[in-house]
Amino acid sequence: MAEMKPRERVQRLLRREPVDRMPVFSGMGMVTIQAIEKLGIRFAQVHGSAEYLAKSATLSADIFGFDSVVIPYDMCTIPEAMGRGCSVYENAEGVLYPTVPSKWERFWETDIPPNYLDQGRMPVVEEAFKTLIAENKYAVGAWVLGPFTMAGQVTELDLLLKGIKKDKEKVQEFQDKMTDVVIAVAKRYQALGADYINIREMGSGTDLLSPRMWKTLIQPYLQRIFAALESPKILHICGGTDLIVEMMNDCGADALSFDQKNNLAETRKKIGNDVLLFGNFDPYGTLCQMDASQVEDVIKGCIDAGVDAVWPGCDIWPEVKKENVEAYVQAVKTYGKNPSPAVGRI
Amino acid sequence: MVSEARREEILKNLSDGVVEYAEDQVKEWANIAVEEGLDAFDAIMNGLAAGMEIVGDLYDRQEYFVPEILMCADALYAGLDILRPHMSVESSGDLKGQVVIGTVQGDVHDIGKNLIKMMFDVAGFTVHDLGRDVPLEKFAEEQLRTDSDIVALSAMMTTTMMGMKKVIQMIKEKNPNVAIMLGGAPVTKDVANLFGADGYAESAGNAVQEAIKMISRLRELQNKGIQGS
Repeated sequence: MAEMKPRERVQRLLRREPVDRMPVFSGMGMVTIQAIEKLGIRFAQVHGSAEYLAKSATLSADIFGFDSVVIPYDMCTIPEAMGRGCSVYENAEGVLYPTVPSKWERFWETDIPPNYLDQGRMPVVEEAFKTLIAENKYAVGAWVLGPFTMAGQVTELDLLLKGIKKDKEKVQEFQDKMTDVVIAVAKRYQALGADYINIREMGSGTDLLSPRMWKTLIQPYLQRIFAALESPKILHICGGTDLIVEMMNDCGADALSFDQKNNLAETRKKIGNDVLLFGNFDPYGTLCQMDASQVEDVIKGCIDAGVDAVWPGCDIWPEVKKENVEAYVQAVKTYGKNPSPAVGRI
Repeated sequence: MVSEARREEILKNLSDGVVEYAEDQVKEWANIAVEEGLDAFDAIMNGLAAGMEIVGDLYDRQEYFVPEILMCADALYAGLDILRPHMSVESSGDLKGQVVIGTVQGDVHDIGKNLIKMMFDVAGFTVHDLGRDVPLEKFAEEQLRTDSDIVALSAMMTTTMMGMKKVIQMIKEKNPNVAIMLGGAPVTKDVANLFGADGYAESAGNAVQEAIKMISRLRELQNKGIQGS
């Protein structure tokens, strides 16, 4: 059989149908500085232009042989659309991701504008999705922050965390609002034709919250989100996840993604072989810091631990070493020829 | 002058109040400490900070998580606000100093930074808090302006960590004797060494642990001083 096309490879894996090899893809930003430089722009310029977003995503995949493109790159598009602004650091040296400059001081007094889906850079992102989907070259991945992480972007996180103990009802009410936002945006991306959606509830690991808090304040909202979305849908959490993997698996996602703090081999034992697991290498350490000769072992380690696709634990930091990314892609292609626990090979 | 038994009672109530994040209890007993003439530095170090040390142990044992730590910190500050104005210069001894603290540009998360700031407040430092999303050159400017002994930088995300290296270079070029502390989730000992920093803490919880270790050392020093006098 002829080699599969990137998009088909990813789509099949997400349906747990046999593939020719493990796809090289992610549910988080995978834009590289090599693509940004080739476009002749600065990183700060990419976020506000549909053309730059689409071109930099495709170029990154072209240069390195990724099977997917993932947009947007920053976490401010939705907060900005809700009126919280966006700092892009136009004059900063090097790569700096945008941040949200103006948070709601009191999360119980938020006033989400009714038309936020069409505000700020939302139309820009939408346009970029349309371009990438029409190209039909790579699988197009979309992501939305989970409700708790989104809440941390638009309001003061310490008040929210203290609210969990002091004012649970208000926190729940706010979580409900954020959940509605996450569903609305994710559905919009799905309606545009994104191949998969990744819900990144990054700030909810057990570095911050106890498993008990996770069960009452995170899980019910994630369950509501995954019940509302079409497949394929993925849940990603970074930081400490070993204590909550079973609860993550009860949220209704088709696949779970973890960062390097997760003991993936143990997680595979707990979850069994019927669920797609993605992870879990340290993107900064592996692609920006270590010697390229060490990368293969890291990637092989993820596969040996039982992932169905090797995912970075977070966005790829754009200033990657070219030879490290090449080693990562090559290692996935080499060691991903064999079946993984949840996905066979043709 | 309070009796030893009364001193113990006051310290225990301050400590318990911090552990149980009972702000009112801490305020009440801080006021009692002031009214009855207990040394304010003793009350801070062996009451409030001792409570925070227990909080650190509870975090270590995964009984407490960040929400509880934040509330304990609020309780500690409620007591500190009352006690600090009564702290005598002699009792805090040589522990005074100045620190510049902030979260680097591109990072708007400041929980870890605020917990480390608490440690400096407890220890009687003058804290110059630049806040969050601070342009890199501002750290060097503020250090020079205030002649601070320590500059503490925090970044929660890998994406902002690289800025720290530039700040360290800027400061060390102008004043090699300044101690630099780094904090934040992506910061490891290797990164701290690589960047030329003098200390590090990797997460908010870890920041508390580091803070508590420092406070513990300060308490030991202070206790030795009391015994030796």
